[in-house]
Amino acid sequence: MALLGTLSLVATACGPTGPSGGSTAAPEEKPVAGGRLIEGSFSDIKTMNPMLVADVPSSTVTGKIYDTLFYADPKNGELKPNLGKWTISSDSLTYNWEIDPKANWSDGKPVTGEDYLTALKLVAMSKLTVRKSNFQDIEGWKDFVDGKATTISGVKVDSADPKKFSVKFAKVFCPALVNAFGSSAGPMPTHIFGKYTAAGQADAIDKAPENTAPTVSSGPYVFKEWRKGDQVILTKNQNYFKGAPLIDEYVFKIVADATVLAAQLKTGELNYGTVEPKDLADMEAQQNLKVFKYQALSYTYIGWNVKSTTAPALQDKRVRQALAFGLDMDAVVKSILFGQGTKMVAHHPPASWAAPGAGLNQYPYDKAKAEDLIKQAGFTKGADGVYAKDGKPLEFSIVANSGNKTRETLLQVATEQYKAIGVKVNPKLEAFETMVDKLTTGNQEIQGWIIGWSLGLEPDPYGIWHSSQIPDPAAKKTGFNFGAFTNPEFDKAIEAGRSGNCSQAERKKNYETFNKILNDEQPYNFGFSPNTLLVVPQNLRAIDPGTFSATWNLEKWWFKQ
Amino acid sequence: MRTYVIRRLLYAIPTLVAIATITFLITRLAPGDPIRLFTFGATDLTREDIEALRAAHGLDKSLPEQFALYIVNAAQLKFGNSILYHKDAMSLVLERLPNTITLAVSALVLQLIIGVPLGVIAAVNRGKWIDNAVRFFGVVGHAVPAFWFGLMLIIIFSVTLRWLPSQGVLTVGKDVWDIGDRLKHLIMPAFVLALAGIANYSRYLRTETLDVIRQDYIRTAEAKGLGSKTVFMVHALRNALIPVVTALGGVLAFLISGALVIEQVFTWPGVGQFTYAAARQKDYPVITAGVMLGGMLLVLSYLIRDIAYAVVDPRIKVK
Amino acid sequence: MATTTADIAAVSPVAVPARRASAGLWSDAWYRLRRDKLTMASIVVLVILIVLSAAAPLFEEHVFKFKFAQQDLLGAYAKPQLEKPQYLLGSDELGRSQVVRLLYGGQVSLFVGFFAAAIQLTIGVSLGLIAGYKRGFIDDAITFFITVLNSIPTLFLLLIITALFSPSALTLIVILGLLGWAGITLFVRGQTFSLREREFVTAARTVGASGFRIMTKHILPNVLPFIFILAAIDIGTIILIESALSYLGLGILPPTPSWGNMLSNAASYFNLAWWLVVSPGVMIFLTVLCLYLIGDGLRDALDPRLRGAS
Repeated sequence: MALLGTLSLVATACGPTGPSGGSTAAPEEKPVAGGRLIEGSFSDIKTMNPMLVADVPSSTVTGKIYDTLFYADPKNGELKPNLGKWTISSDSLTYNWEIDPKANWSDGKPVTGEDYLTALKLVAMSKLTVRKSNFQDIEGWKDFVDGKATTISGVKVDSADPKKFSVKFAKVFCPALVNAFGSSAGPMPTHIFGKYTAAGQADAIDKAPENTAPTVSSGPYVFKEWRKGDQVILTKNQNYFKGAPLIDEYVFKIVADATVLAAQLKTGELNYGTVEPKDLADMEAQQNLKVFKYQALSYTYIGWNVKSTTAPALQDKRVRQALAFGLDMDAVVKSILFGQGTKMVAHHPPASWAAPGAGLNQYPYDKAKAEDLIKQAGFTKGADGVYAKDGKPLEFSIVANSGNKTRETLLQVATEQYKAIGVKVNPKLEAFETMVDKLTTGNQEIQGWIIGWSLGLEPDPYGIWHSSQIPDPAAKKTGFNFGAFTNPEFDKAIEAGRSGNCSQAERKKNYETFNKILNDEQPYNFGFSPNTLLVVPQNLRAIDPGTFSATWNLEKWWFKQ
Repeated sequence: MRTYVIRRLLYAIPTLVAIATITFLITRLAPGDPIRLFTFGATDLTREDIEALRAAHGLDKSLPEQFALYIVNAAQLKFGNSILYHKDAMSLVLERLPNTITLAVSALVLQLIIGVPLGVIAAVNRGKWIDNAVRFFGVVGHAVPAFWFGLMLIIIFSVTLRWLPSQGVLTVGKDVWDIGDRLKHLIMPAFVLALAGIANYSRYLRTETLDVIRQDYIRTAEAKGLGSKTVFMVHALRNALIPVVTALGGVLAFLISGALVIEQVFTWPGVGQFTYAAARQKDYPVITAGVMLGGMLLVLSYLIRDIAYAVVDPRIKVK
Repeated sequence: MATTTADIAAVSPVAVPARRASAGLWSDAWYRLRRDKLTMASIVVLVILIVLSAAAPLFEEHVFKFKFAQQDLLGAYAKPQLEKPQYLLGSDELGRSQVVRLLYGGQVSLFVGFFAAAIQLTIGVSLGLIAGYKRGFIDDAITFFITVLNSIPTLFLLLIITALFSPSALTLIVILGLLGWAGITLFVRGQTFSLREREFVTAARTVGASGFRIMTKHILPNVLPFIFILAAIDIGTIILIESALSYLGLGILPPTPSWGNMLSNAASYFNLAWWLVVSPGVMIFLTVLCLYLIGDGLRDALDPRLRGAS
């Protein structure tokens, strides 16, 4: 099970009741407390310290124990106050926060601004965290990391009201709100973790027993037991600031694979889990289950190495466009995803606010057009049905990671369909780790590849598309812009989107430019964005999941008897 | 006897060093970089963060340096911190050991209580249909792909009939000490793991029993007028069981390492499943800790086997 | 998964007949084998399976008229049927013909089984002969090496290696071949030990035959019948291991079909098309069963003392 990446971590934040909370319950139904929510997962959690989390299962569980300052609207991803509410100074550099007066830790101590500072200090002192760069623009961050200061000067807790604090950044950075106040920066209990932040005990936090057995909670549930490799058990937090949850227990249960997960949803051994499209019909046929379908913030694509010298055809935009016209992605979605997905023609999935509204070439399946474009690029069809130029056939390899059925299938379909337009594909399967190595180090063996991106709340595409992220084997530089696509206008749009005007409208404009260039240049065949298919029992009430969060109103959920 | 045991334990040292070296080489020579894998897709990370993480795990050092450190630490059973779990690798693996032992011992018990009687019954009824049935099962039990058999059992007993749980060791909400519930979880994986062994023991016991029955002392005993049942129970079976007892160590070792696939099918949280998952994620410390633990168990169970051999069969003199 | 060591243990109690390998041994064995209906039936079934797999391209072209990589996305999950011959055993998630892929999968699975076993036997028999014949230091070295090898949880290591390296089909064959020979070596070594003291070997030595000649011309023919037994069981075991590796996603990688990866693939679609799970499972089971029965039958034929019913 290859993870798409860790970017989707922020999407699991919990939040207060929105206006639509409880909309699925008929008016005469009275919520009752009790029951147990059992979520199925394919792998165990690794840690319950949000500063150290780097995998989806851990963030799923940790998110229920440590609440975050804001939460994302499930439908449009808009950030809303949760544990805290905020204002931003006119120069976009200072964020002023006030933590909810009712917000307490499960042991009754109030959640304060000091707890936010503790979280930051823990990240700074951990040797094993991967979250440090989220905070690098905060004033005084580096001095604290280097041990030159005993605190982070940019973070100021109001001495009159400990619930208030401000954070000052050294430069304008639009993703700062999501990055520096999201799930890896939720307040951490100073009265528990404070002992690890004292000077001179670097990496003590990495060995803290509370990482695997948290003692207090700010979220709807408190930790009870971790039966390694089998289940994690949480019980409700009676002191939760939005009211104690109605469901008594939350259990995170490990199962072998998607088929078993689906089977256990049917038997009721699990009552919360996402299934694969192939199991959808079976799930919908069950009287006792209901399925929520919504777009995921991810996509599976075929990437092209646009600088490849071994497959020079991929350098030509017309060939890449032909490869978009020549693959019937709607049929792929129908067969691989059973219709549960959307064809993609640019980077941001339609559910994201950063996605362009209109004006993109949709590249409808058109074999004739594809072949025309190939001919325009100077290729002629040979006797073997494969196009060639200067005696060299239009041929390249596409590699996908073995074990991922969706990608394996896409590879097989692409190989067959490209053959029909006179393009010879050499399909290859490799272990995920081998592919990761080759891609991130810029190994030029790579011509085409299939992998996926899982995007987060923050749409900044810098890490994936900026020219600085092109891996360079000579300089031993790694990066995620594997295909080495870039152009100056494109870079400019990306930069403006992160450090120009941070209003959503302005950023959207920049991302429109960005997406249109991608749409035209086709450095990827952008593939498809799948739907999330969340299955729960028919009698689960008040659940209202969306692309950006499924569990934002968890404490309101209840089982009708 | 004591010197024998001590000498055997000393012999184990070069073996374990060899295993440690092989494991180190396999993990380090395999393509893929654990840190790159761990941070893949985290597009908000800076290169400095990634390199700092590498240094924290000592993976920035040269291979010979890493190897020297590794051997020195391995001698003290320290394998470093898991990259994924941020905890001591050996203690993580040991946390899973009781589950694997439970599964392996249960399978062993099933093999003996089913396989031995089957073989003896077949031998006693030599040539009759029951003998043929057991002999046929002796081959069939081997030829069935175990994981496939496990999947079939899950489909039949868990999905269709809903009699038995298919995953894990305990039902959600049950007490840790609920033995009945644990047994329900144990029965399918233990039986699947035992299948090949049951077949094996039935063949083995059949041959051995036939062999023993033909031997002179049985005939002598019969000639002395002892009832044929008594003769059989006392003499034949005891002698036939000698190789069975001595094979226990090897079989247990096999079960422990062979449980991996079965653990995977039934999501049984054992050492094999855990180490395998670590291998897929390139969590070096956990891989080495897992393989070393497997090697140590193997060496230990061979030792137990040899001692059992010496105890059961007085003809063998321990030198 | 079957156990290499345990299997060999199951055949090893056989004693080598105390005579030179001769036409007599073979013809006696053949005589007995012919009367063993079960073994003969197994041989026939196995030969049919091999022929069918080898003839896969012919079936593909003339009978089913459907290429093994050919897809028909609209015809996915077709039930087994007679109307469309290519869907005789149904179609998979891409609308590919299950029956054609089974035939090609047979090629791959049998190829892996036979060649990995060939490597194991070559290594196992040569080392066994050398250790048993030369004795002394060479024997000690080989025995120590085997002791170390036996103390490594082999299957465990195999899974770790394949998980780390994700080998190609050929590399997989080599890895499988390099890991499973210890039992064979020990068996052959034991036999050689006793054979080298026999009169015909001593006689050969007196007339000045070289060690190599004695090993290959005099000892090997006597061990050979038992190597056939080992081979039959070995091939079956390797096919089982390959299927288990494929189940974990570590064996032969798609789109090359092997029975193991077809099974593993089908297992994730069983609620849509259970018949896809049945056929590759049956093929693996049938092949391995035949091989084991042949191994059993050969042993009985070569050593009638152990024959149950006679």
